[in-house]
Amino acid sequence: MTVEKCLEPSLASRADDWSLRIDGITKRFGALVANDEITLRVAPGEVYGLLGPNGAGKSTLVRQTIGLLKPTTGTITLGPFDLVADPDAARQLCSYLPQAQLPIESFRVREAIELAGRIRSGRTREVSMRTDTLVEALDIGEWGDTLGKNLSGGLKRLVGFCMATVCPGRVVILDEPTNDVDPLRRRLLWEQVRELGSAGCAVLLVTHNVLEAEKSVDRLAVIDQGHVVADGTPASLKAADRSQLRLQVALAPGITTPALPPWAGPATRVGHNLVTTIAEKDASAGIAWAASLVDAGVAEEYALGGTTLEDAYIRLTSHMSGDDDETSLRR
Amino acid sequence: MTTIAPPINVRRGAARWWRDYISMLRWHLASLRMWFVTLTVVQVLTGAGFVLGISLFFKHIPVRAALFASTGVPVLNLLMVGLILGPQLVADQKANGSQEYLRTIPVGRLATAGAWYTVCLAGGVPAMVVSLLVAWLRYDIPLHVSVMIVPAIALTTFTGAMFGYALAHAIVNPMATRLITQLLVFVIFGFAPILFPIAQMPRWLGTLNWWFPFRHMAVVIRAALTSGPNSAVLAAYGVLGAWSVLCAALAGRALGRRA
Repeated sequence: MTVEKCLEPSLASRADDWSLRIDGITKRFGALVANDEITLRVAPGEVYGLLGPNGAGKSTLVRQTIGLLKPTTGTITLGPFDLVADPDAARQLCSYLPQAQLPIESFRVREAIELAGRIRSGRTREVSMRTDTLVEALDIGEWGDTLGKNLSGGLKRLVGFCMATVCPGRVVILDEPTNDVDPLRRRLLWEQVRELGSAGCAVLLVTHNVLEAEKSVDRLAVIDQGHVVADGTPASLKAADRSQLRLQVALAPGITTPALPPWAGPATRVGHNLVTTIAEKDASAGIAWAASLVDAGVAEEYALGGTTLEDAYIRLTSHMSGDDDETSLRR
Repeated sequence: MTTIAPPINVRRGAARWWRDYISMLRWHLASLRMWFVTLTVVQVLTGAGFVLGISLFFKHIPVRAALFASTGVPVLNLLMVGLILGPQLVADQKANGSQEYLRTIPVGRLATAGAWYTVCLAGGVPAMVVSLLVAWLRYDIPLHVSVMIVPAIALTTFTGAMFGYALAHAIVNPMATRLITQLLVFVIFGFAPILFPIAQMPRWLGTLNWWFPFRHMAVVIRAALTSGPNSAVLAAYGVLGAWSVLCAALAGRALGRRA
């Protein structure tokens, strides 16, 4: 792998530690507390997930990191730079893929990526080579000369990812990068996210798709209602559910949610799917209960398996990931 | 596989300004690629149409009316991109969320504004030249173009661009920006002494116009196309300069504002 420098190597001595440090960040909008005393650290090379339901405060946190919002209290530093006091430094040192689509309607794909690289101080030849790499890696070469207005939402998202990473910042902030992207290219995109880590970038990944995050992040924080409710590696967050099983029941259309047995954990319903956790010792009772629902025509099928990060997420937030149309169920 | 290592320092200074300016000029021109030629053609047709259409108000158009229309339309040509189109583009970007990305790219605000000013000049000057040519051919008006046309064009376009820039960025609500730009078109055409002498306005409206930039744009352009500088022109340059600085400061503050 060829590593090219954007800036003079002699300047490297200015910083010893390029970790992103977010310390005690609180952000208030009037009476609403969007972030409440959030503290986290993302090391170079690390892919760090910010998980949480819509409105949890994830995007507010990253918008403070990139300099779009000013924290009410708290500090954000990167290497020797105070990103709150110096938003210009934040823009230069962090690259950002926002949740909204980028304004590339009039741009050809390669042109948009190369111009983004030039804006981020990349040298022409290096940016061109890096663009080739990204376009090939994400398998979007056939659209290289296509105008943005003729691209699908998923392709625009991939182009936006390329624009944010063609000349990446010390911190790469990706807000829901896989929205609208097809499953094959999602895998390719996640490979590129890992490459960013290998190149020394700290990647801050905002998502509410826990299943994808579980496979992609080194560490993560779960944010709910402005608070960090848990953080650690995916394995450590799942540890509390180690003796638990995941019971998923596909309810028949038009059926109201049946009463849960007393030994079932918190449940969440998304569409026709009802998901809960049960203790391993209750496996037989769980199967019998789910089978009785199928026999009664209340459910069409069920599945019992090991718990995932999503079960920890449901336990922590009472939300299911990756879907807005959900209902939290409490007995 | 090629990767580019992340930056290890922050760029500052004049060299950065020039690089940012060129990058943003390319960005603006590419953003307008589908519309820039159409926009220029519409500007040219609007200017020429206005110059020719004004004669329909008269059976025999007086030389003075022809002169005012012919030297007023170029002001409108110079204003339209910066004052009207610019804020509406930004309003669209705010409405669809893409403005957030543009606020996070690492370019200086002055360089971005400078690049947009260049686009406004490129969009306005050709139309201005055609409008004057049509006026000269149609009315045979006595034009005496002086070298002062250069600063007059530069400052008129700059003030219009910065006024629009401030409107676009200082007003949070995109719909409010659109409504205000529509209102501005109405005010500039009907109630600013650009296409007609200020003496034809009620005194209070003339006085009110003294505090706004549009009348002064017409003064400096008209002077550079006809009789040359005088005391009113110097005052007009002063007012335009003050407005351009005020608007640039407002826009810069709005762009740097973090909620």
